[in-house]
Amino acid sequence: MTSLIGADVARTDAESKVRGEAVYGVDYGSLGMLHAKLLRSPIPAGSITKLDVTAARGLPGVRAVVTGSDAPVARGGAVVRDQPLFATSVVRYEGEPIAGVIAETEQIAKRALGAIVLEIDPLLPVGDVEAALAPGARLVHPDWKDYECSLEYPRAGNIACEVTSDSDLRALARIVAQADVVVESEYRAQRQYQAYIEPKSAVARWEDGRYVVHTASQFPFNVRDQVAQFLGVRVSDVRVIGHHIGGGFGAKLDASLEIYAALFARHVGRPVKIVNERSEDLLSCGCRENAIVRLRTSLASDGRILAREADVLMDNGAYSGEVPLMASLPMHVFGQVYRTGLARVNCRLMYTNTAPTGAFRGVSGTYLYFALERHMDECAVRLGLDRRAFRLQNLLQDGDCTLVGQVLDDAGVLAEAFDRVEQVAPWSELMRRPSTPGKRHGVGIAAATWLTNPGPGTVTLKLNEDGTLGLVSGATDNGSGAVTMGVTQIAAEEFGLRPEDVIIQMPDTDAAGYDAGSQGSRTTHIVGRATRTAAAEVREKIFAVGSRLLEVDPADLNIAEGAVHVKGAPTRSVPLSKIAIAAMSTSGPIVGTGSYATPLPSYNPACANGLLFPVFPTPTYHVHLAEVEVDEATGRVTVLRYIVAQEVGKAINPTGVRGQIQGGVAQGIGYALYEGLEIADSRYRQRTLETYRLPLAVDVPDVEILLLEHGDPAGPHGARGVAEPPIVPVAAAIGNAVSDALGKAVNQIPIRPDEILALLSGDDPIRLR
Amino acid sequence: MQIELSVNGVPTRLDIEAHATLLDVLRGDLELTGTKRGCDEGECGACTVLVDGQAVDSCIVAAHSVNGCAIETVEGLARARGALDRLQRGFIKAGAVQCGFCTPGFLITLTAYLREHPAPTPEEIREAVAGNICRCTGYSQIVEAVRASIGEEI
Repeated sequence: MTSLIGADVARTDAESKVRGEAVYGVDYGSLGMLHAKLLRSPIPAGSITKLDVTAARGLPGVRAVVTGSDAPVARGGAVVRDQPLFATSVVRYEGEPIAGVIAETEQIAKRALGAIVLEIDPLLPVGDVEAALAPGARLVHPDWKDYECSLEYPRAGNIACEVTSDSDLRALARIVAQADVVVESEYRAQRQYQAYIEPKSAVARWEDGRYVVHTASQFPFNVRDQVAQFLGVRVSDVRVIGHHIGGGFGAKLDASLEIYAALFARHVGRPVKIVNERSEDLLSCGCRENAIVRLRTSLASDGRILAREADVLMDNGAYSGEVPLMASLPMHVFGQVYRTGLARVNCRLMYTNTAPTGAFRGVSGTYLYFALERHMDECAVRLGLDRRAFRLQNLLQDGDCTLVGQVLDDAGVLAEAFDRVEQVAPWSELMRRPSTPGKRHGVGIAAATWLTNPGPGTVTLKLNEDGTLGLVSGATDNGSGAVTMGVTQIAAEEFGLRPEDVIIQMPDTDAAGYDAGSQGSRTTHIVGRATRTAAAEVREKIFAVGSRLLEVDPADLNIAEGAVHVKGAPTRSVPLSKIAIAAMSTSGPIVGTGSYATPLPSYNPACANGLLFPVFPTPTYHVHLAEVEVDEATGRVTVLRYIVAQEVGKAINPTGVRGQIQGGVAQGIGYALYEGLEIADSRYRQRTLETYRLPLAVDVPDVEILLLEHGDPAGPHGARGVAEPPIVPVAAAIGNAVSDALGKAVNQIPIRPDEILALLSGDDPIRLR
Repeated sequence: MQIELSVNGVPTRLDIEAHATLLDVLRGDLELTGTKRGCDEGECGACTVLVDGQAVDSCIVAAHSVNGCAIETVEGLARARGALDRLQRGFIKAGAVQCGFCTPGFLITLTAYLREHPAPTPEEIREAVAGNICRCTGYSQIVEAVRASIGEEI
């Protein structure tokens, strides 16, 4: 039997999905279920002067109306407890929940929202990061000092988190003063909506003194913990059961509707379902944060980078969630691809009266690499150097250290990735390619180093009496195939089983051990490794039973094609089904467990103040090249060619890996060219999928994919994280390509046709070639 | 009000609310949850079904307006005895399914398209699904799934 490792087998849930049989979170229902809707604040900032729910409560079919006075705890939050379940006196963003109606149907609940009397005295909203930072700015959280924090880090007023490198400022000033060239630029990025096609939903019931929550979550244990925190109970008083996830991309890591469904279910003593409409999903989901990045680089005329300074302002929105951790990202991104010389980094995460921001695939890295790589192009142009050669000159090498003091033993893979791209798309040829009349041709290249999330996972394997394998884990498959391909193939390979003979239950926090969720490309790496550990225990138990049945030493046995064989005598074998049954009367049922978390690499804790996210474990390396054409008449950008060279360790399922890279690049093209939640007067301009422009099949080219497979010694069969990073350098590569095409610096994303036309009509193009 | 539909070949009589959409009826009254609600405004295409052979966004079609029509949903795609049809097999083979929430809509849109255009080019396939949004795959493997289903090498 050929190996399943590296095989293009279909995901195990593909058939139920093409039949329309798969039950997603939003499809789940329960007998006796009621339906809830949330009353959300129509304005971004104000004081609630009146909230009267009497009329709504009296409507036929309405079972209850719940407000802040029914919330068990005042505030919750992952890092700082700054968020109430319902606004009671102050509203801090448009869309903030104020009350909930529970009714017999969704229609009745929705109508009853209109019967709630709500009066809000508007306040001038703190609209953006610069307004939040301005002297005398109104504080979004006047009581910020009193909030409970689970971690210690610098906060002050509207600054929700500040990360500052420990840099020798005098030495820096000397370098800047003596540098041949100093390049300084500002880069801006708008918010990006995850725009999964399944809106968020939850069903909860109250049973035997515990909350039981059904949801499509990327991270059921996090939902468990957050429901428990906001409802003031132990984590073991909450059970979270996962269902198929209709896309998440980071937005379904945190609890949102689950908390309300649980509270309401207990309140009315019936199961309660709550589903976001698309507009409220967009409004409340925790989009990728908007940001302003200012970079200043001191250079020697020969192309050496002598010093780099970075100032970043990130928009936290009204409440923090886990975003304070992301304020550490600049400390990583600005020192893990290119040598920077002396570096100074400051990042301030600002409270504003806008919807809370959150995790989106490639957290913060998408725009930080956009800024870094646009800046690298600008530096090269100023120095009169070739953009690719300038990168290679300053690229990290094996054993180089990042700004946090993490040693990257294998950073030389970056150079290899540049080489691989060069082999299929020679740079000098691309540079000579002319534009066709009416079009501007451009090429951009960008690199990135990313991580594999180290969070813990565990697996229990059980040998079923028919010789199939049961796999119990809290791991979730958000669509990536990490469970339904990666973990499945790794488990099946250990026993010579077919993938369909590995039966993996949906996550259930009561049944499975802790799992850190589908985030940061961790599942195949971490859970795959735990699976191999569990498999080793199961194999040992199988050999013990097999050695009795076959009357040979356990060391003389192996497992293949679902049976135990005597080495060198393949006809002497016992199927696994017989082993499992024999075990019932001897050792007892055969099970095995395995757990794993990546040990954190060492770093320098003194490198910065406020560094909550200290290292980039199990790094991966990426080089992207984009070739674009800009239409001079319309400003429309067509991506002609897109190449990705990516270190994956080992592609367990090449079709799956390809899907992650193609899909990540598509999201990146959307981010670079189309998608953007514009904020005007603290409100989103785009409020539905009609106005929020997502990439379509006609917008995205077939990505050319070059895999590098330097196995990670700790990874299962060498596998590293794959799925998250393909989005990371895309805006950087596209931004550089469009800038090249126009001969002008394009330093804002998304890059829209009207901005391109404005640039084309201006003077003073800069030549990038 | 009362309407009569043929749903995946099964004659169905329903008492519906006047404002109900076809999607409400399919997912609610008939519990055919394979058809997905993504945006409720005819943008994402996840709710696509066939009405008398024509692909429509069922979230913006009033149920009463399709009285007497033949409706086909993803649940009706499989052949006799539950065998997957070639397009469904193509999606599985090519890796065109990730989260799968958009998949029913793509399958239905393409089913209607392939009946009229049995041998489309990749570019034509991309145009054909320009009304369906997939957030996971970046579309290439969906195009290849169609090519595989019509017997082209992928």
